[in-house]
Amino acid sequence: MNPIVRRQLAGPLCYRRSSTPLKRAAAFASVLILAGCASLSPDGGSADVQALVNGNPLMAGTTAQRAPDEASQKSVDALLAKPLDVEAAVRIALINGPRVQDAFATLQLSDADRVQAASLPNPVLSFSRLAQGSEREFERMLSFNVVGLVTLPWQARWAGQRHEAAKLQAAQSVLMLAADTRRAWVRAVAAQQSVVYLRDAKEAAEAGAELAHRMAQVGNWSALQRTREQLLLADASAQLARAEQAAVASREQLTRLMGLSGARASYTLPDRLPPLPQAAPELGDVQALALRDRLDVRSAQAQNTAVAGSLGLTRATSVINAMELGVVRNTTFDNDADRTKKTKRGFELDLPIPIFDWGQARNGRAEAQYLQSAARVRDVGVLAASEAREAWQGWNTAYAIARRYRDEVLPLRKKVNEEMVLRYNGMLASVWELLGETRASMLAVNAGIEAQRDFWLADTDLQLVLTGSSPGGMTAAQTASASDAPATGGH
Amino acid sequence: MNRRNFFAGAATAVAATSVSRVAMAALPEPVSQGSTATAAPLVPPNGRPYNPVVTLNGWTLPWRMNAGVKEFHLVAEPVVREMAPGFKVNMWGYNGQSPGPTIEVVEGDRLRIFVTNRLPEHTTVHWHGQRLPNGMDGVGGITQPHIPPGKTFVYEFTARRPGTFMYHPHADEMVQMAMGMMGFWVTHPKESHPLIDPVQRDFCFLLGSFDVEPGSATPKVNTMTDFNIWSFNSRVFPAIDTLNVRKGDRVRIRVGNLTMTNHPIHIHGHEFEVTGTDGGPVPRTARWPEVSVDVAVGQMRQMEFIADEEGDWSLHCHKAHHTMGPMGHDVPTMIGVDHKGVAEKIRKLVPDYMVMGDKGMADMGEMEMPIPDNTVPMMTGTGPFGSAEMGGMFTLLKVRRDQKPGDYRDPGWFKHPPGTVAREVPNANMPPATRKETPAPSMKNSSPDATVRKPSGSGAHNH
Ligand SMILES: [Cu+2]
Repeated sequence: MNPIVRRQLAGPLCYRRSSTPLKRAAAFASVLILAGCASLSPDGGSADVQALVNGNPLMAGTTAQRAPDEASQKSVDALLAKPLDVEAAVRIALINGPRVQDAFATLQLSDADRVQAASLPNPVLSFSRLAQGSEREFERMLSFNVVGLVTLPWQARWAGQRHEAAKLQAAQSVLMLAADTRRAWVRAVAAQQSVVYLRDAKEAAEAGAELAHRMAQVGNWSALQRTREQLLLADASAQLARAEQAAVASREQLTRLMGLSGARASYTLPDRLPPLPQAAPELGDVQALALRDRLDVRSAQAQNTAVAGSLGLTRATSVINAMELGVVRNTTFDNDADRTKKTKRGFELDLPIPIFDWGQARNGRAEAQYLQSAARVRDVGVLAASEAREAWQGWNTAYAIARRYRDEVLPLRKKVNEEMVLRYNGMLASVWELLGETRASMLAVNAGIEAQRDFWLADTDLQLVLTGSSPGGMTAAQTASASDAPATGGH
Repeated sequence: MNRRNFFAGAATAVAATSVSRVAMAALPEPVSQGSTATAAPLVPPNGRPYNPVVTLNGWTLPWRMNAGVKEFHLVAEPVVREMAPGFKVNMWGYNGQSPGPTIEVVEGDRLRIFVTNRLPEHTTVHWHGQRLPNGMDGVGGITQPHIPPGKTFVYEFTARRPGTFMYHPHADEMVQMAMGMMGFWVTHPKESHPLIDPVQRDFCFLLGSFDVEPGSATPKVNTMTDFNIWSFNSRVFPAIDTLNVRKGDRVRIRVGNLTMTNHPIHIHGHEFEVTGTDGGPVPRTARWPEVSVDVAVGQMRQMEFIADEEGDWSLHCHKAHHTMGPMGHDVPTMIGVDHKGVAEKIRKLVPDYMVMGDKGMADMGEMEMPIPDNTVPMMTGTGPFGSAEMGGMFTLLKVRRDQKPGDYRDPGWFKHPPGTVAREVPNANMPPATRKETPAPSMKNSSPDATVRKPSGSGAHNH
């Protein structure tokens, strides 16, 4: 087919595929044209994915990069030059992260499948040369798979729908990556912050143990009293070591998501998590929001539509699933005698005779697939609504806990510390009680950091649950109580 | 010191009661005291004359004569006692203060004492040491019904023998005494008594101990032995008034003990004799000179001496912890513990931290560091030469040649005649002991001392 003609006809026909009986014939007639309009999209559909995720709060105002180029790498370097805030981390992951490229590659595969499905089956040219004595027989046949031709509109439409679903899935992958990066950033910063406070707690235990050692040295304390203080130090050291390991692990997780290695992996993180927001957002009906906006819900619906389409195709081809129609031209030469040349023309039709397979299995399978996909739509709907409720509740709980730490536990802890200093001043309490209280304070601050961390994790979960996808299990609010840690000096 | 008129309706007295006037018609108007200052002696306006006592940081309860009977009105009620400036304790007491007002009567006086209970629980009053009808002894449940909240009971008896006494509840006694319910009682002889000498100054106070958690205001009533506030008349040094006397005065000091332990009361610079107990005057042949007298739990002692040495003489309980304010009894001894390196580390975590106790506890007397609200420093009080490093049951006997008779005002610090104050020997500097580097015995594992003390099972018992 002339490419120019194809282009001229491409516009209206590619986007309006009629299925009314009146136009069936026209549709059939335009099969060749139709098949011709399926071509690979230049960006593999990534622009459509961008459109799906644009404006999502998880995206930090950035666009995912299909393939990193020099300019984007420069921007990554620029972002890495400063302490990495959460937006920067998300940007880098979306530009540079291996997972986003994976997602786009997957999308490109789906695009290829779509084009493949909508491509006209090539006609088959068979040629045979037979010799019998002086006779030569040339048989040429040009045949088409007619069923393939007839079902092409269905195939093309179905593949298009599948590609739409794939776009939705790719968009989910992008959002998941953004969410995972956010979570990893929150965990890494919190873990790093924890280390600082646990180091202080250990230092307090160290001072206590050192003084205890000197107390025993000059004969003021027994081995029992000294050993108890050393025990506190050993505990504090173990706790710090655990926290340091956790900090490394969470930072590495972030590094992996951002796809960084080498010198680039030695980025710096800010000292602390962002402060809590002033108030809970007004969200209205979170369930409705999730059911309307979530990409996995939309993806399941799109897939269901595609399966429904394929059901029609299967029904149409259940009995006759193959038909070859060919034009045959048979030429016979007799070289021996009178060099006669006879040419026979005709056609050939291949048609399976439905004796054994009446297509029940194919129909049954297609129907089961349809039921399955319908069930999945329902499942995803239930999941989305439930997760929306859970995430919203989780957000509120995490917010309340984090605020309680910020507004109550930590100020009260501080007050306890101040009072303990006053008691120390009055020789009403020993330096070990003072240090014990200081240690307890550091642990409370640490618990406060964890509460703040849990809030930001819950916040990410909520964003993802309302607009993106299932976060794959809620982040449980990890509670830690340090307010009631008794501050005994160990004697 | 203010001379106050304590009679009913006097402007300086605060009548604080919710009892209806009609119901009270038959009762003497209760008088309440708002001040913790030592009131001037109450010269008896009527009845038999006597030489009044001075109650340290306290006062004497006025009375009215009713057909030859002395009528007093005690009101048992919650009070806030200022034990030191800024240190106020929620107590139970009588007529606005704890201890309650001193009751002064004369041998042979016919008495009627109205007791109104404004406490949240019932009470009684036991007249410690008195000869009286059994039903007037004030033991709730045994000799009388308890006085319910809001009710007034009356006690009637004759002050039969002269001497030093006290009064306190005998109902829920542990709680009510831990909350400060106590008062002094003096029965003066009606005429000159062979065993009771006239004195120029007659002081009295009760020993009290309380357990007030630093930073709180209510005593812990369940404390048995580990008290932290030791007081003369519910005041702690340096908030206890001094005993100001004229040189050559014969001085009597009466002390009663309503704490849970004994207190060896020690007076500097003079010897005294114990001339009386709650059992009465001590026969002259049984008196011997003392500089300390142990006042056991529930006892009273009356010491007498001629104040013939001028100066500011300490008068205190000789139990060292009793001349201290609140302290942490679990604070370990820090003496000799080198803080080098550690102090800086602690200060990084606790910016207000200061090393204390590594050279002893005198730091505490010298350093003025913020301590919890509503408490007193462990040791405090400063004299002309520096910190006294004292607190609790401690005061001064101030003997001055120019103190006027009957003048109880504080004459200020003693002006020592030249050459009578301990002084430095010039050029005799000896460095203080330095910390020894040899390990202390407790650190030597192979110390023979430790080996001997080790209970080694076989060796110790097979002999
Ligand atoms: Cu004592």
